[in-house]
Amino acid sequence: MTGSAPGLPRAGTCPTAFERAFDDSDLHGLRAAVATYVTGIAGADAAETVVLIAHELCSNAVRHGGGSGRIRLWVAGDGEIHCEVTDQGPGLTDPDVGHSLPPPSLPGGRGLWIARNMSELRIVTGATGTTITAVFSR
Amino acid sequence: MAATTSVDRLAPGDHACLTFSDGEERLDILAAFVAAGLRRGERVLCFTDAVGVDELRAEFVQRGVDAGAELSIVPSDRLWGGGGGPDAATMVELLAVELRHALGQGHAGLRFTADMCWAARPQVNAEQLLVFENEVGRLFEDGLVTAVCEYDRESFDPVTLGYAARVHSRRVAATVYHEDPVLRICRQHVPPGVRVAGELDYTRAQALSEALAEAVRLDMDVHLNLSSLGFIDAGAAAVILRTAAGLPAQRKMIVICGQHVERTLTVAGAADVPALKMLVRQGER
Repeated sequence: MTGSAPGLPRAGTCPTAFERAFDDSDLHGLRAAVATYVTGIAGADAAETVVLIAHELCSNAVRHGGGSGRIRLWVAGDGEIHCEVTDQGPGLTDPDVGHSLPPPSLPGGRGLWIARNMSELRIVTGATGTTITAVFSR
Repeated sequence: MAATTSVDRLAPGDHACLTFSDGEERLDILAAFVAAGLRRGERVLCFTDAVGVDELRAEFVQRGVDAGAELSIVPSDRLWGGGGGPDAATMVELLAVELRHALGQGHAGLRFTADMCWAARPQVNAEQLLVFENEVGRLFEDGLVTAVCEYDRESFDPVTLGYAARVHSRRVAATVYHEDPVLRICRQHVPPGVRVAGELDYTRAQALSEALAEAVRLDMDVHLNLSSLGFIDAGAAAVILRTAAGLPAQRKMIVICGQHVERTLTVAGAADVPALKMLVRQGER
């Protein structure tokens, strides 16, 4: 991993952040917790989108990033919702993954495409792990 | 205990109970039951309660059931003549009269559905339900009457549900492909296809894939009802796109869903699959 995770909340920008460890045992419970948090700060429509983004990032970590990770959510001073997912897996082979949509016949490869479509992604990846931060503007 | 069967295996003379918790499942089974009666040339009566008369008719039409003159949809209090409270003897007599009328008009028989939720209301003498279900049994002896009595699990206590299961000769249930606390995947009868309720992600995408494979084998067009699906991820969306993309020419997959599921399928590439049609139901998820 290179450097510290980008976009950490500055003092005073976010009184209550959401933070949780996850693995493959309870992605459903994680989605419910994210939905509750985001609904409380930004409403149900924003929650639908952020839950999908968070799920795609976390399920990527579960499947390709060592099986577990940590997720943090916070609201920046400008109202943007930040969703940061960190894992300690072997890193992304292609940090530009998800810039194009795979053909319908392929089973995978849409998770980061969806996340990129619905938010701005910042990816920091290396041999000891990956941190992806999605910034969602309401 | 009544034998459990799928709605398309009910035969004339069956007195079946449908115990349900998913409203979509109830409507699908009722639509299949009504459509079968209309095909047989039976007079069909629906006594509805929790679902309004117009709403139920609209649901049937939306599902492709020809809701013409042979089908009457009325509020359930018509069973006891509207006035007074529910009375078992009055109800059975009314159904006997309806059967005579139906046969007199040249129909092959009488088929009815009844939402029994009236019996769960506090002001109703619950005993009338037990008497009705027992007494109505004789109407079925000649094989000219077929019925589905609907029991919403939310409205009835386990003792009453157990009793209902015993007095009916059949128990109608959906064909379930997958069920766990998060997700339920069932066969949909009308229009034929698959219904998914709950939350669907890549961990359960294989169950969806298998259910869709059966629909592809059985049905010309595959109807995928996602109107009770609250969440779908990229992995599960890919299964839907791949199945639709693999359909032979001239065949379609029709997906009914709420706007959030529609958006996920769209971003996942639905526009690249000409065989996939999406119908968005407003206000549902």
